[in-house]
Formats: sequence, C-alpha cells, structure tokens
Amino acid sequence: MTGARFPLKLVIGLAVAIALDTALQLVWKTGVADMPDTSSLRELAVAVVRCPIFILVVALMAAQLVNWLKVLDHADLSYAKPFTSLSYITVCVLSVVVLGEHIAPLQIVGIAIVIAGVWCVSQTGHATLRDEAKPE
Amino acid sequence: MSSTALGVLLVVVSTMVEGFGQTFLKKSALDVARRHHWILLGVAVLIVEVLLYSGALRFLAVSTAFPITSLSFVMVTLLSHWLLGERVTPLRWAGVGLILIGTSLIVAQA
Repeated sequence: MTGARFPLKLVIGLAVAIALDTALQLVWKTGVADMPDTSSLRELAVAVVRCPIFILVVALMAAQLVNWLKVLDHADLSYAKPFTSLSYITVCVLSVVVLGEHIAPLQIVGIAIVIAGVWCVSQTGHATLRDEAKPE
Repeated sequence: MSSTALGVLLVVVSTMVEGFGQTFLKKSALDVARRHHWILLGVAVLIVEVLLYSGALRFLAVSTAFPITSLSFVMVTLLSHWLLGERVTPLRWAGVGLILIGTSLIVAQA
C-alpha cells in the first residue's frame, strides 16, 4: 500500500525545491558567462573564488540540500525526484520572459509532455508504508 | 574509444552516481540513528557526480551532455525501488518515461 494524502508540507517543500533549482540554474548560467575563456584550471579556480556570484551559488546549494532533506522526510525519493523536472520548464519560461530568448515549438511539446509525466507521478501515493510486511 | 564516446560514458556514469547520492540522502530519513553519516556520504557522492559531469564537458558540448542527464530520473527511480524498497507503480514509471522524453526535448532545443 502507499500513502494517499498529499500533505501541505510536502507541497510547499516541492515548490521551494523547484524555485531554488530554478534560481540556482539561472545564477549559475550568469556566473559561467562571466568566467574567463581559459583552459588553465588554476586561472579558472582563482576566477571562481573571486566571483561573488559563486558565493550565491553555494548558498543556494546549501538551502537546496536542507529543503530537499525535509522533502525526503515526507515522501518517497521516486515520488519527489520527478517533480524537480518542473524546473526545466520554469528555467525555459524565465529564459523567454526575462532574458528574451526564443522558444522552439518542440520545447513547447516537451513542456506539455513533462507536465503530463509529473501529473502521472502525482497520482501515485507519495510514501511507501514500510511496516506493512511486519508480522502481527 | 573516441572522445565523444568517452564524454557520453562519463555523463551516463554521472547520472548513475547521482542516483546513488540521492539514495543515500533518502537513507538519512529512514535510518535516523545514522542520519548525519548518510547525509555526508550523499553529499560526497553528489560532489563526485559534479566532477564527472564537468569532466564530460571537456569532451562534449553542453547541448549534447545536458539531455543525457535526464536519465537521472530513471536511475533514481530504479535505485529507489531496488535499494530502498519503494513501491514504483506502472503509472509512476509512465510518468518518469514521459519526463525523460519531455526534458530531453526541452534541453535539446535550448
């Protein structure tokens, strides 16, 4: 059997996970664009340490880890992880809205397919009951 | 082995490694007595994943490598079932399959 209810804590946790993942990807993208075009690992490492945006990246990663651990306290990993695919959509939409990037027709098809996939997962129970196999 | 094949192999391995990292993080919720051990192990493994993916980018363009990373949804689901004993219903598998196709279309066109 699987748990059927969808707790509010879990909804909020998943929403925060998607928001943090989106922010992380956009900030990371900005940070990488500012990096020098060099093949020297030493130069690259120095540039990363001196770039304040990477402090933000580390802070976002830490927040993401703390939130994700809370999500996993309430849900199966195989249930929660597919929801993070929604960040592919938010990044794509924000790239169009904020950065003025172009969106291809196949990306719109991809967005619809991802939403359908997440809907399928959302219709399954969020947590496997682990004491069901124990003897009476 | 060509550099492209090596790059693809590294990305595929990195998605498998991510599956293990996520499994260890979930173990921290199930084995509360050793919660911190599982978290440290999970984070360490996820750092290895980032290094492998970064290594792959020396051989592959991001536009090629990124779509392959959506395989991590399959890896995580498989390992959740095998190692954590989670019940993965056919509907959940169908959802993961659709997500794999959809995310690949989104990032392949980006």
